[in-house]
Amino acid sequence: MAEFSIIGKPLPMTDARAKVTGLGKYADDLVVPGMLFGKILHSPYPHAHIRRIDTTRAEALPGVKAVATGRDAPHPYGILPIGHDERVFQTDKVRYIGDNVAAVAATSLEVAEQALALIDVEYEPLPAVFDPLAAMQVENPEHWIHSNKPRNIEKEYHHVFGDVEQGFAEAEIIHAERFYAGEVTHAAMEPHATLAVWEPDGRLTVYSSTQVPYYLQRTLSNVCEMPMSHIRVVKPLVGGGFGGKSEVIPLEVAAAVLAKKARRPVKITYTREEVFYAHRGRPISYMDLKVGITREGRITAVEARMVQDGGAYCGYGPVTVLYSGNLLHAIYDIPAARYDGYRVLTNKPACGAMRGHGTVNMRFAFECLLDVLAEKAGLDPVELRRRNLLRAPCITANQLRVTSYGLPECIERVVERSGWTAKRGKLPFGRGIGMACSHYVSGAANPIIRSNMPHTTVHIKVDRDAGITVYTGASEIGQGSDTIQVQIVAEVLGVRPERIRLVAADTELTPVDLGSYSSRVTFMAGNACLEAARNLRAQLFDAVAKKLDCGPEVLEARDERIFPRHDRERALSFEEAVAAALEAQGALVAKGTYAPPEEARGGTFKGAGVGPSPAYSYSAQTAEVSVDPETGQLTVHRIVVAHDCGRALNPLTVEGQVEGSVYMGFGQAVQEEMIWRNGRLMNPSLLEYRIPTTLETPLIESIIVESHDPEGPFGAKEAGEGSLAATLPAIASAVYDAVGVRIHSLPITPEKILAALQEKRRQAASQTRNSGTHPGGGS
Amino acid sequence: MEKILLKLCVNGETCQVAVPPNKLLLDVLREDLGLTGSKRGCDDSSCGCCAVLIDGTPMLSCVALAASYAGAEITTVEGLAPPGELHPVQEGFAVSGGAQCGYCTPGFLIATKALLDRNPQPTLEEIREALSSNLCRCTGYMQIYESVRLALERWQQVPRTAAASPTAAQGSQ
Amino acid sequence: MTLPAFSLVRPQTVAEALRVLQDAAPGQAKVIAGGTDLIPNLQMKLYAPQLVVDIKGIAALRGIEWSPGQGLRIGALTTLTELERAPIVREQFPVLAEAVAAVAGPLQRNMGTIGGNLCLETRCLWYNQSEFWRRALGGCLKLPMPNPHAAHPRTICHVAPGGKFCWAVWSGDSAPALLALDAEVEISGPRGVTRRPLRELYKNDGMDRLALGHDELLTAVHIPARAAGRRGTYRKLRIRNSIDYPLAGVAVAMEVDDQGICHAARVAIAAVNPAPLLVPQAEALLVGQKASPELIEEVARAVTRTGKPLTTSASTPEYRREMLRVFTRRALQACWDRRDNVEHERDTGD
Repeated sequence: MAEFSIIGKPLPMTDARAKVTGLGKYADDLVVPGMLFGKILHSPYPHAHIRRIDTTRAEALPGVKAVATGRDAPHPYGILPIGHDERVFQTDKVRYIGDNVAAVAATSLEVAEQALALIDVEYEPLPAVFDPLAAMQVENPEHWIHSNKPRNIEKEYHHVFGDVEQGFAEAEIIHAERFYAGEVTHAAMEPHATLAVWEPDGRLTVYSSTQVPYYLQRTLSNVCEMPMSHIRVVKPLVGGGFGGKSEVIPLEVAAAVLAKKARRPVKITYTREEVFYAHRGRPISYMDLKVGITREGRITAVEARMVQDGGAYCGYGPVTVLYSGNLLHAIYDIPAARYDGYRVLTNKPACGAMRGHGTVNMRFAFECLLDVLAEKAGLDPVELRRRNLLRAPCITANQLRVTSYGLPECIERVVERSGWTAKRGKLPFGRGIGMACSHYVSGAANPIIRSNMPHTTVHIKVDRDAGITVYTGASEIGQGSDTIQVQIVAEVLGVRPERIRLVAADTELTPVDLGSYSSRVTFMAGNACLEAARNLRAQLFDAVAKKLDCGPEVLEARDERIFPRHDRERALSFEEAVAAALEAQGALVAKGTYAPPEEARGGTFKGAGVGPSPAYSYSAQTAEVSVDPETGQLTVHRIVVAHDCGRALNPLTVEGQVEGSVYMGFGQAVQEEMIWRNGRLMNPSLLEYRIPTTLETPLIESIIVESHDPEGPFGAKEAGEGSLAATLPAIASAVYDAVGVRIHSLPITPEKILAALQEKRRQAASQTRNSGTHPGGGS
Repeated sequence: MEKILLKLCVNGETCQVAVPPNKLLLDVLREDLGLTGSKRGCDDSSCGCCAVLIDGTPMLSCVALAASYAGAEITTVEGLAPPGELHPVQEGFAVSGGAQCGYCTPGFLIATKALLDRNPQPTLEEIREALSSNLCRCTGYMQIYESVRLALERWQQVPRTAAASPTAAQGSQ
Repeated sequence: MTLPAFSLVRPQTVAEALRVLQDAAPGQAKVIAGGTDLIPNLQMKLYAPQLVVDIKGIAALRGIEWSPGQGLRIGALTTLTELERAPIVREQFPVLAEAVAAVAGPLQRNMGTIGGNLCLETRCLWYNQSEFWRRALGGCLKLPMPNPHAAHPRTICHVAPGGKFCWAVWSGDSAPALLALDAEVEISGPRGVTRRPLRELYKNDGMDRLALGHDELLTAVHIPARAAGRRGTYRKLRIRNSIDYPLAGVAVAMEVDDQGICHAARVAIAAVNPAPLLVPQAEALLVGQKASPELIEEVARAVTRTGKPLTTSASTPEYRREMLRVFTRRALQACWDRRDNVEHERDTGD
């Protein structure tokens, strides 16, 4: 008999029917009687004092039911306890074009829009700064974006692990370079929407497109000065998050404040342009990276400096810059590393967590540098990586614990599938193949708000109908977490998934889960489900054992029956087992929780809290491209990706996650970029911010590698982020293989490729002139 | 603004709505008719989430004034199959991972339905071309292609009656 | 985003439409066909018309007619999809088939009409933005947004500061193809129906793009019979292979005899000037000649002299100008080589 009956099956998502019929409800689909429409007034200035706000004319407009300003919500908030620097509406000054100043609730959207134009705000512009390197030079405290952040440095970290000087002294080949990454954003298809309902009993119910219902509930409690128990946050279907809905977003607070003030339901839906101002995407990154290797290709030391353009508020910023440093580790064996990371404030929308949080740009730099070093050492890029693998289980130089490590297999599988050996360096000019690796956490081992409480809790209830209800706080945002939790419970209880009803992400009904970020749900909520289901099964087994007159330890649950392992015919149906348990003990309920073990929580140095995870996923990829040497146009034909997800609880959703990651990495690699002119976003639309269409997206072949993590639920690790980062350097490496130029600035546009090719031709020509020899390469 | 009394034929039913002349078909579907399956993802006709069939042709309801389409036959995602049933295209997307977050799915279903009405044996390149007005941020499109392939398979198993394919006739021009 | 308030009329005949347009004050009426250009612009509040005239109900404006004597008549309401699929277009006017197939994406082409595509609003990153965005900026030359607190209280062109000329770019795909086919447009107005060369429709002014009276309607496009069978191709610079407007476009149509001698040639460009333009020297350079790298390069240089891209869109002017050169070279060579004309060159995988 197969090991599992439900685990490992490519089951369709439990909410697939709701989605394909159009009947599932997202936040903007919700309508309640008496609902008002909210609109937010945004700052037209990148940096200005607010001298006066007069809302009288707006309030007088017929149909306007409430106008809110900073006076109605004075408490600051922020996702990190060290970064409570945001207010839903600014009172003293605005810090970016699009910053929030006031909001209106009215009987129609038209009236709300008219009312915004009637709010009089007097601004006094301040000098603004848009580049992080320039922002770090601002000496005048009057011009700092936050008065308590000298020279606009939000946070800086300086880490040294191992003997870096010694490492570089031992190195025989050292290469250093600066890398740049432009700013990108999540661009989930669903613009954010929030419906806040003021209940007759003075409570607040908030339906919101969020990845973090619990943090939203906490923040609203603080801002609205209401006990958490009086605020219910419900997450309807969410149309994609990717990190863009993983902090409290201004519209969520604005809707709640307006609903409280108007004593009516208020819905706010962002326009696509407002989504770009809410942002929280991946920051502009300047990276200086130096790596030393021995002639045999062993890495001896790494030195990295990162400057991130964080925008005007803290958000997840310190976490982002810490991930960039701490996750230099846990993929290759790095004996010594220095990291200097700076998170800098500028007068632009706040950056934050975006898929592959903090790791993507630095991984791009690192893998590109490995490509250079491999060439210098005369090694195949694959071989260089083979020589620097970890041996799990192990602890890295910065005290990350690696429990399972499928990277070697990932590398070999993509090498084989892609035809790497026959292709690298051997394709005709203009065609190339490249490879790279990446990894990611399976959930942050340390919670955002430090505590020893569980990160997630799951309740299960079974009653006379033998229906199983699972209560989980975990947030399904399209990644399939509801389905995975159902599969885990179904497997343990030996029932069909259809028997299970999952109630999720409703703070009034479900226990706390910290949210859908850092790829934590399968691992953490999955483990909590596993524990809860096992607890419930133990209760059933006790009752069944009495009925069958055997020990509970010989029992097994499978195919809707419970039976002694060696006497399968003597079975009770699941219904009979439930009845027996109810007779024996009354209510049939169970709980499960998960908190990462102490050993997984990392070191004690400043900034050690970010990076530790109970387990890491691994990915290796090849990209095959064509480059048109006359136009610089880059076509990515095919990406082969192997992802170590521990165990694929559902191969369909694992592949979907891996392919989606590659897609997003591809977009950032070749065409996505937020274009800024003096703090003004030039492309705040899906027409001008160009996420890839079907026609330029490469064909993606995904391979699942299963390393069976000792602590993951059934051995599972994350699948939704770890494959993103490798896509970018794999493409860069392939461009080099195709036409011999290295583009170390993202995105890799045709213009950059063409400029590099022209430069190369110039250099070759001048060499020819100087030496009289014939240049190689060129078109 | 004076409202206009409008007769629309949506999912086979004729309904009357009073709407201002500047109201978009997407908003009439969502707000006046409660058909929230069609989504708004952008504000400049560049994402495809709002696609509906108008007289059998997939179009963007976010750039259509509702009053301009009085009398037209409109099919939304809710009308692809009778209540409680799934059209093969819906089945394909449900089973093969074509819908992750699901927000773009109605638009993809509409574009796929129109493609298969017009071209029952599309190549991969034809599928990519036909779906290239629809953006999906989740899947990387691979499972969408697989969903279309499965839809095709299932569709070929059911007789293509008028009920199964109400717009086939118009779509094949 | 909401649309500005307006009244909507749906005339059923051209005469009725013209009456409505004549009665409206100049600038107060906007004509809508497919809506793919007008509606987003209305959402951005680029216009606030009192009246929107929906001409989709005018049956006479639909359809494609071919006669060997009269040439091809394309009704203004013909959708880009209909045009792209029409066998006569694919067989006899390949440059047009390619160009319309390159417009946006398939769903946009199902709505967009040839008339609408020829009358597209000019585009500029500093103009095609929301009311909020433009107000924060203080507007631009094309659409001032008086705001004493704005970054630029004096309305300026952000592309060519100090200039008085609007460089917003005419960003359609079909017009260069039609220019290369010597197309004429049929204009209906108070003085009856007239036909003018398509090139006379455009004023090459980003602010005031069309030589079309407020009381006139573009009702059809004519391609003369002599242009049938011309070899042709259209090359479009875009970042994505769908949805995007062109960042530069080159259309070539030629007659080449069996000896490889060119007897007629037109090269037209789009998305680099406030109008789609025929490159004046191209014909003189090409006619009577056989293909040679030097000749092709000379034409390509003439094309880049005609194109005047500025910082109105995502790519840099330098790159767009360089691509004009490369695309022209390739298009000419393709026409001479008689490569498969119909299939748009697109490499999306294997």
